[in-house]
Amino acid sequence: MISLADRKMAAHLSYGRVNLNILREAARKELREFLDKCAGSKAIVWDEYLTGPFGLIAQYSLLKEHEVEKMFTLKGGRLPAADVKNIIFFVRPRLELMDIIAENVISEDKLRSPRDFHILFVPRHSLLCEQRLKEQGVLGSFINIDEYILDLIPYDGDLLSMESESAFRECYLESDQTSLYHTAKGLMTLQALYGTIPQIFGKGECARHVANMMLRMKREFAGSQTQILPVFDTLLLLDRNVDLLTPLATQLTYEGLIDEIYGITNGYVKLPPEKFAQKKQGEGGKDLPNEPKKLQLNSAEELYAEIRDKNFNAVGAALSKKAKIISAAFEERHNAKTVGEIKQFVSQLPHMQAARSSLANHTSIAELIKDITTSEAFFDNLTVEQEFMTGVDTDKVNTYIEDSIAQKDPLIKILRLVCMQSVCNNGLKQKVLDHYKREILQTYGYEHILTLSNLEKTGLLKPQTGTRNSYPTIRKTLKLWMEDANEQNPNDISYVYSGYAPLSVRLTQLLARPGWRSIEEVLKMLPGPHFEERQQLPAGLHKKRQQGENRTTLVFFLGGVTYAEIAALRFLSQMEDGGTEYIIATTKLINGTSWVKSLMDRLETLPF
Amino acid sequence: FYVRASYQEGKLEARLSLLQSAVDEYNKAKNEFAAKATEEEMRLLRFQRRVEEEKGERVLGYSLQDTMHCLLAAGLHKQAEQLYKDFRVPDKRYWWLKLSALAEKEDWDELEKF
Repeated sequence: MISLADRKMAAHLSYGRVNLNILREAARKELREFLDKCAGSKAIVWDEYLTGPFGLIAQYSLLKEHEVEKMFTLKGGRLPAADVKNIIFFVRPRLELMDIIAENVISEDKLRSPRDFHILFVPRHSLLCEQRLKEQGVLGSFINIDEYILDLIPYDGDLLSMESESAFRECYLESDQTSLYHTAKGLMTLQALYGTIPQIFGKGECARHVANMMLRMKREFAGSQTQILPVFDTLLLLDRNVDLLTPLATQLTYEGLIDEIYGITNGYVKLPPEKFAQKKQGEGGKDLPNEPKKLQLNSAEELYAEIRDKNFNAVGAALSKKAKIISAAFEERHNAKTVGEIKQFVSQLPHMQAARSSLANHTSIAELIKDITTSEAFFDNLTVEQEFMTGVDTDKVNTYIEDSIAQKDPLIKILRLVCMQSVCNNGLKQKVLDHYKREILQTYGYEHILTLSNLEKTGLLKPQTGTRNSYPTIRKTLKLWMEDANEQNPNDISYVYSGYAPLSVRLTQLLARPGWRSIEEVLKMLPGPHFEERQQLPAGLHKKRQQGENRTTLVFFLGGVTYAEIAALRFLSQMEDGGTEYIIATTKLINGTSWVKSLMDRLETLPF
Repeated sequence: FYVRASYQEGKLEARLSLLQSAVDEYNKAKNEFAAKATEEEMRLLRFQRRVEEEKGERVLGYSLQDTMHCLLAAGLHKQAEQLYKDFRVPDKRYWWLKLSALAEKEDWDELEKF
């Protein structure tokens, strides 16, 4: 049974060209089956990291229907008291979590109330973890040890993410390909539900790996062909390190800026409460709420769907236009004469009120953002970014960066800029690089030497080698910089960064038309191989394309994607003569800050 | 690796010896920059200890910039000046620092001097 509220929650998933609700339903079905395996009342002990992503699959109401009475967060010591028959641990397969579980189980046994313990590993079962539980002497206490395969989580009508925070770090720094295996598995699940994807394109080492694994898995399953008409025509796998530049730049779309400034996690954003305080009338405004305001952001909200992907400079106009429409709609009531007309007006009220509160929310958010985007600091930072992207003085020490270090601005801001300069110059001169590194170590502390070395290993920061700087060629051939980017009525994807067209999306665009053969030379300058594979479809499943029907391409970003890139792809989907619609998948939704942070080594420094 | 371990050492002597191992490793790996940076860090730690012993200012474990800031704020101009020279701190950054440290302290007399 799906409750009404729940159906509403997931409505945003079925708007798109591909109904991602099918995927969500499949995930829910599996969860229900597992819960029913453990008969009787239950308490779930959560690995805290998983609660966000799980919220997108199932609300508490679903769990409740299956006799889940209590929920706890996993932590050491003894479990909180709960009068239930089953204790289920929902955890990621991590050794340190196993130790905590063991501690829980051992201290529980002393209480002599017999319980059944279960573990559900997400997304994958691990023998190492089982071994650890055995060493701790608690393996025998578990009745069920299962895995819950949750690879790709639907975030929006056209967006899937694995929300694997460290995927980029693992793949490009630690050469750990576990997340690529999960990616391949996730894509197999997707194909089981939506049919085999006939064409696979890719660029980059990791893309190659994933494609190889997929083809191998398919061979292993030969014979059990799915008889589903393929929904996707093409899969494009892109390595993040093919385009290191884009995430470093500050996103300038509405959603991108919300993420840059406040951070969006699992489709929610937390905002400072002050701006939203006065809304509640009758409370006298005495005590301002201290809790941050939490808002859900997805395309189910009509207004948000309209403005999320706009350049921020076009959001103001859109909001005021909307305000006029709404107030005009409210004015309608004066014209309503007959009972029928009044009845019709009243029936529209809930919808109108929702629209009005949504408008109020977004006007407040836009004001908050505007305070920042109009600040001098934001402007200076953006100017430097744009200079780098257009290739101005990228081979010299930049004075703005020096000044920012001298004033001890946040380290991540400095790292983003220095990396950006390095990427745009295809590496920095040894002298320049050493100067920056010295400045950073002397100002922020020697311990950051590890972070700097991580950035060098992933190629974000590098010394210039003998070869010529290839970035200007890439920029010109792929038209990465558009002088006349139109922010209000965009005609090119470059509007998402007010001039810079994200390289990753440009590659996607060119693949659809005229094809990668035309940019062979540039592709060779970018890291990793590019390739094309075809998967045989069972006879009779070849799609007969109707005249004027669009193709559907799944673009998979290995190592993360930004909201601005998503916006650019949505823009391409909507172009009238585009001919292709895009569904986006990734290992993680990122922005420059969260991305660089994932590469930092934070040392627990013992004080002297 | 040694760098990581060194930070888990609460004792200065132990940390210094681990950092020395790091210097050796960096040298073996021909990473000149890192070796030099590590040596500088060791020098800074020793300097900080001396200041703590002699002047009673707590600066051990701070970054170079924070150490200088601390010294200036405490009126230990000579010591700050010495760090500035020893570690070849770029003039620009040092002046910025001096300005902000003195302004924070509202030490206008000292500010007048340059």
